This record gives sequence, structure tokens and C-alpha cells, in this order.
Amino acid sequence: MTASSDGLGVGASLRRKEDARFLHGQGRFVGDITRPGMLEVAFLRSPVAHARLRGVTKPAGAEKRVFTLDDLPGMGTIRANSALPGFRVSEQPALAKDKLRHVGELIAACVAESRAAAEDLAAGCELDYETLPAISDMRTATAPGAALLHEHWSMNAFLETRRDDDVSGLDAIAAAKVTRTLKTSRQSMAPLEGRGVLAEWDPRLEQMIVTTSTQMPHVTKSGLADCLGLDEGQVRIVSPDVGGGFGYKGILLPEEIVCATLARKLGRPVRWLEDRFEQLSASANCREHHYVLTAWAAKDGKLLGVECEAIVDAGAYSSYPFGACLEAAQVGSILPGPYVLPLLRCHTVSACTNKPPILPYRGVARTGVCYAMETTLDALARKLKITPQAIRFANLVPPEAMPYRNLVGKVFDSGDYPESLRRAEKAIDIASVRKRQAAGETVGVGFATFCEQGAHGTSVYHAWGIPFVPGYEQSSVRLTPDGVLEVRVGVHNHGQGMETTLSQVAHEVLGIHPDRVRVVHGDTALTPYSTGTWGSRAGVMAGGAVAEACRQLSVRVAAIGAALLQVAKDDVVVEDGKVRRKDGDSSVSIADVARTWYRAPQNLPPDVDKGGLEITAGYRPDPDTGTHSYAAHAVVARVDTDTGEVVLEDYVIVEDGGKLLNPMIVDGQVLGGLAQGIGTALYEEMPYDADGQPLAATLADYLLPGSTDVPDVRLEHMETLSPWTTFGQKGIGESGAIGPPGAIVNAINDALARIGAEVMDLPATPERVLAAIHACRK
Amino acid sequence: MSKIAITLTVNGEETKVETEPREHLADLLRGKLLLTGTHIGCEHGVCGACTVEVDGVPARSCITHAGVCDGAAVRTIEGFGDDEIMAALREAFAREHALQCGYCTPGMLVTSRDIVLRLPDADEARVREELAGNLCRCTGYRGIVRAVLSVLAERRKA
Repeated sequence: MTASSDGLGVGASLRRKEDARFLHGQGRFVGDITRPGMLEVAFLRSPVAHARLRGVTKPAGAEKRVFTLDDLPGMGTIRANSALPGFRVSEQPALAKDKLRHVGELIAACVAESRAAAEDLAAGCELDYETLPAISDMRTATAPGAALLHEHWSMNAFLETRRDDDVSGLDAIAAAKVTRTLKTSRQSMAPLEGRGVLAEWDPRLEQMIVTTSTQMPHVTKSGLADCLGLDEGQVRIVSPDVGGGFGYKGILLPEEIVCATLARKLGRPVRWLEDRFEQLSASANCREHHYVLTAWAAKDGKLLGVECEAIVDAGAYSSYPFGACLEAAQVGSILPGPYVLPLLRCHTVSACTNKPPILPYRGVARTGVCYAMETTLDALARKLKITPQAIRFANLVPPEAMPYRNLVGKVFDSGDYPESLRRAEKAIDIASVRKRQAAGETVGVGFATFCEQGAHGTSVYHAWGIPFVPGYEQSSVRLTPDGVLEVRVGVHNHGQGMETTLSQVAHEVLGIHPDRVRVVHGDTALTPYSTGTWGSRAGVMAGGAVAEACRQLSVRVAAIGAALLQVAKDDVVVEDGKVRRKDGDSSVSIADVARTWYRAPQNLPPDVDKGGLEITAGYRPDPDTGTHSYAAHAVVARVDTDTGEVVLEDYVIVEDGGKLLNPMIVDGQVLGGLAQGIGTALYEEMPYDADGQPLAATLADYLLPGSTDVPDVRLEHMETLSPWTTFGQKGIGESGAIGPPGAIVNAINDALARIGAEVMDLPATPERVLAAIHACRK
Repeated sequence: MSKIAITLTVNGEETKVETEPREHLADLLRGKLLLTGTHIGCEHGVCGACTVEVDGVPARSCITHAGVCDGAAVRTIEGFGDDEIMAALREAFAREHALQCGYCTPGMLVTSRDIVLRLPDADEARVREELAGNLCRCTGYRGIVRAVLSVLAERRKA
């Protein structure tokens, strides 16, 4: 499927079409958009983690500008169910009803001409509440006698899952067994642009128009219509430029429900913009896992089995649409990673705690699971006295086994996993690290190998039974009378450069110059329904849909072009933006074809397809169990044993994302993911005290990696095509964020091996590194 | 709330505006002057997204009170016209894929231009150090660092 011979199509590192507006400060984010008569909202939020709410006293004289749940009847509760057996569904009111379940939960909306004045109103409210014991540590959530968040539940858990392979015989036959207790910290995804919502009611259309910073406009539309009691046609979601998402903007927000309700009630546009304090204190919502992991291996490092007890802190509610158990319930299916694992026993708990509801962050459960598995593998290797590479080579799925179905039923589509590790091993200077270690330096090398399932569809998600299940991805393409191609997709950009990549895909099929392709997205009124941009799916799903729609369009273009050239349909080809006779040079441009359809229909052939030059086509890979990109990360880290500081001296990533639609953009995704993974590994942590109070309220306390913290990474690509996708592309958007914690902590532990110390918990801050060192010196 | 009348020269144009004592420069630029290219990321002076030039020097507009800027010359991302260094940086940022979501970009460019002007001999380590006050959550910084280094190198050649 190629109609482009000029190097601008699939596989070209085309510069981004998006860049010009951002470089000139002309991007349009929610906060940049205003409306005449617009009011600003500030929320009164819960100051406590767990309490019974008795009432709110509004500031005198401002009673009509402060709205509690009682003032806004008719708002539905957020309910994100799951079909997994035993799932306990929470009811999350848009504004608190009678209980407060986490710090930052919405209690009342305060409305004024400016945000500052609205904040004054919030500050003037008085709250009456009775404090209840808070569940701040997920390990205590299900303890007998623990205060229940949802009082009709029998325990503070959304779900438990079990896989019960018999591992009782492994002690007798294993050459080595290790058990590790590991924890990852709660994080804030911290896109630089916070959330933002601008709601307005259009009385002519009887439509609620909500401009909101979201990754999934159509899912938000469905959820919002449901909560507002409106038909879906009465809700239009516009998502303008989105200043980073990473999962943070893949949610139906209570703020959206409240703003929409207020806009209709007040007859004025209403806007809320999240500030950083709100983001950190009310929505630190990801990554907090706890593991007790045991692994058994034979002498050569071959894994015999793994036993895992995992808890994920899922927070107070089940968020729409992904629900509260997406992470914990996946631990068991992700644990085998890229390895051949014969036995797995796994028990998981999605603990319900007095913290913000969990959202899947880039890498979703994989970052935590990969961390647990990779550090445990290294512990096994140390015990067996084999190298970290050797234990991985002994277990990685070999290329000749592809496509490979592992013990939990995941199917890996293609690839040479060991080769990625061989290349990483070659690229990193292990010999010099060993030499420096021998000279007494506290330096180490660490590896992590993993795979990332992306673009998984119906066959995977129907089992989860969450509020939506992704099916066929659609794209609508149409030629305008001047020969420009409009490409409409329901996925949405939040930095991925889809306006560029999808133009390249269209160019690949039709040969229209990418500058003449206009990607339309971020508006439910203009685009086909889609579950949106998440799960590393846009390149595979929207890429496939755009290609298919363009392919079908090219058939119609060819038919009209052939008529204009006065030859049979089969005697022409569509390439380089033209319909060309196969037997010679005569051709007409696609623009000529478009002009004929719209403006000179007298020249159309009598049997022309009356559908014209507009097509909506659907696409889904077959099978749709997901692509698996994979990578090997290798890192050299130096540890200062006096200060506990970790310096990353070198970092190599060997990555296989199948066909790279735009290699420059793919590199950007991997590098950006890596920076976030370094944050998870070394810096980012939202601590909570025993009362459930978040302790980092600014970016001076919550540390995001800066330019001096991310090394100048070396990135190598392999390009093993996926046999299941249009161009062989694989989902790769999250991969960079998965490997770093495992690789980095393995490097730290390699460095500390000479003193016998081991870091277990993330992030590996100076404090934790020193604690690990001091623990062995005692 | 009391009002303060101030006069600013914003992107070369003299402007008289009223501000409140608690209003910061970023809100004034974005809200009253509709210069939305200046982004607000943290309002604590940490992330650098709001960086503008005040009297020729980069400043955090989110922690600069508008009321104290009376008489100041302010330049925002919209005000660099065909400034030669800014043009070179824009070209380099696009070439090196130094932006993804675009939210940190205006502040990043203002800081980068200052680095290019002030430190013509800066090496990679120095560029990284100088950029440390501007956070980017998308790119991992490699493209940004390379873009700034490439403009420095071009200018050294010229």
C-alpha cells in the first residue's frame, strides 16, 4: 500500500506540522479560551482524608454563588463498573454527599467573575465534619476492623484476583530462590498543563458544549451525557491543544459534571482551570504498588516459577472509564513479561484507600510489575552467581517461538527479544564498570528487558467489562473541492504529533502531499466515535483506520480519474497525488478529480459511486490481542555512599516498535517516557501522612526530572514488523516509562553489591539509598 | 480590592492597565492583554513555563507581581517577531523535535534565547544547568539541549 515515492510517507522523520503554532505561542489550550460573560469556578475541597460531612456554611451574602450537591440536583454519580467477578463498584458523587473520602474531594463550587474572587468565596466557607480514621497505607486497608470507606462494602477492596498454579514443589528442585518485598510510590503524572473545563449551554442547539483538556473526547461525551441526563447528541466535547496527558486526562471528571450543570443553571459560560496545588494535593493518583515476590530458578538461571502477593493502592473511587482495578488485576498477566515462565501463583488486591482514585499512568501496571520482576531477577542472578544478562538470555522468549502464547494467554506478535539485549549489552561498557568496581568504585550496571502490549482491543477488554470496550477504530476522509484531504479521527493528540503522522499515513496511500492533508480531531461534533488516545493505540488503530479509509477513497478517485483520462478503471494507478495511466505519462491530479466531483459533475462517468469523495472506514487488527513492542534498557549508575546520590552516567535503549511511522516522533516518545521513568526511579513521590494528608504541594516538593537529571541517552531501533497491523507498526508510546526503574535500581544494587546493600523501594532517593547502606553496616 | 494603575511596554507597545495588588504578571498578560502564549504551569516559580523577558532579563511572570512592573518593558513569546536568535531557535526546536505538547515551549524558548545571548561558549553541561529552571514533561530534554547547542554552534561558526 504505497503511493508515495518522495520520502514523506510512512517511515519518514517528517518535521511536525504542529510545531509552528507552539513555537510562536499560538497553541490554544483550554486556559487560553474565554467567552463573553464567562464565570470562573474555584472548588471548595475536602481538607481531610476521611470524614462524615455534616454541612457547609456559605459566606454571608454569597449564598447564591456557592453551590453544594443540594443546590445542583440531577447530577448523576460516577460509576465505573467492571465485569470481573467480585468487583465492588463505588458511587462517586460529583460533589460530596455525606462523606469525604480523600483530601481534595469536591464539596462545593464557588462562582465569580475571576478565579481569585472565586477562591475568596471558597476560603470564606465553613465546613462542619466529623473526622474518621483514614486508610493511608494500603497494607492496612483490608485489616480486620479497618474503617470502611464505602460502608455497605464488606472490606476496603475493589477486587481480589487469584491465579493458583501449584508452586509447592519448587523449593525441592530449584537451585536458587529469592523473595523480595518491594514498593513503588504514589505519583502525580503532572502534565505541565493541568486539567481545564469550559462549559457553555447552547440554547439554539439545546446542546452542552464542553471544552476540556481530555485524551478521550468521545468517552467523556458518553459519560457526561449519562451523568447529566442528556442525549449524547446534546453533548459536544471539544478538546483543544492538550498540554500533556500521560493518562491524567483519560477520565470523566466530576469537575466536568459540575461545570456543565452550572453553565446550564446560570445561563453563563463557566470555566474551571486546575492549578498545580489542586493537581498535587487532590489528584496524585498513580503507580503505588506493593509486592512480595518469590522466584525460583534452575542453575542456568531458567525460571521455574514465580509467586506474587500484590497490592495496588486504588484510592477512594473507581474512575470512569478505566475503573479501579486496571492495575492490580493486570499484575498477574504482566508478570511473566518477555520471559518463558512455566508457573505463576499470584494474588492481587485493589485496595480502597483515602487517597485520590487511581488512574492508569503511562506504562500502566507495567512500570511497577517490571520493576518488581527485574529487580527480583537480578537478585536471583546474584544468588546463582551468573550475570544479569545471562539470567535474561536464559528466559527471554526466543525469536523462533514467535508468535508466542505465554502461560497467561498473552500472544506476542513478533520480534527478537534476545537480540535487543545483545545489542544493549554491546552498547554499554560493562568491562569498564567491572574494572572500576574492582578498583573500589561504587558504580554499577543494570538491565531491564520487557515488552509492552499496545492497541489491544475488543478481545482483551470485553473480559474487563469496563464502561467501554474498544472495537473498530474509524476514520472519515474527504476531499474538499480544492483537492485538500480532510482526515477525521476520534483519537486525540496530547503531544504525539498525530497531525503529522496521520498525514504521512494518508500520503502513503494517496500520495497527496502531507501539507495538503488536514487532520481534524479533538471535537466530537466533527469526528467519528473513538475510545480515544490511551494504551499506545493511536498509531496502530487510527493509523490503520486512516490507511483503510484512504485506500477505499483511492478506488473512487481512480474511477473518476480514469473517466477523465478516458480509459478503463483498471488501467490507472493512484500515486503521487495523481491518477496516472498505467501505459503512459498522462495523468490527472487528485485535485482535478475533486474539482470534477464538486464543481463539474457533468464530466463524471455515468456509473460513478454516488458516495462521492467522502468515506468512513473502520479498522481493527486481526487478531486484536495487541501488538507487543519490546526493549532492553541498560544503564550505568554511580552511587555516592556518603550522600546517597545516584548519578546516571550512561543510558542505552534498544527498542523494537515494528515499523516506525515517523522515527523522529517515536524517538521523542521513548525519550519522554524515559524521563518519566527516571522520575519514578529516583525522584517522584507523593508521601502521605498517617491521616491521609498529601505532603508535597508544590513542584519544589514533588520533584520532576529536570534537564540535568536525564542523561543524553543512546537509542537504537530494531524494526520487526508486526504481522497483524497495516504497516507492521506496534504501539510504543509508553515503553520508555516502563524500563527505567528496574534498570536503574538494578544498576544501583549492582553498585552496592560489594557492601551487600540492596534498594527495594521507589524512588531510590538519597535517603533510601543511605538507609539501605546503613542497614548492612549495622 | 484596590487597583494599581501601571504603564507597561509590552512587545514594544506602551500599554496602560489596572491591576490588583495580588495579580501576577502572567495573569495580567494572559487575561487583560490576551497574550496567551505565556503559559502558567505551577504558580510557584518552579516550572518556568511562564518565563518572559522583563527589561531584557528572563523572569517568572507567575511570581512577579504585575503592580511592581510599572514602567517595565515586557517581552512575551508573541513579541520576538523576526529576532534572529529566536528564529534560529524555532528552526532548531522543530528540527531536533524539542517539543511535544508545546506547553513548556514558549518559556523554554525565552530561556534558551537568553542562554544563547549570554553564554556563547556554553557546552552541553552548562546548557543543561541553565535549562534546569524550565521543566518539560514530554521530551526528556534531549531535543531541547541539542537545539540550543546547535544554535550556539552556528553562531560560533558565523
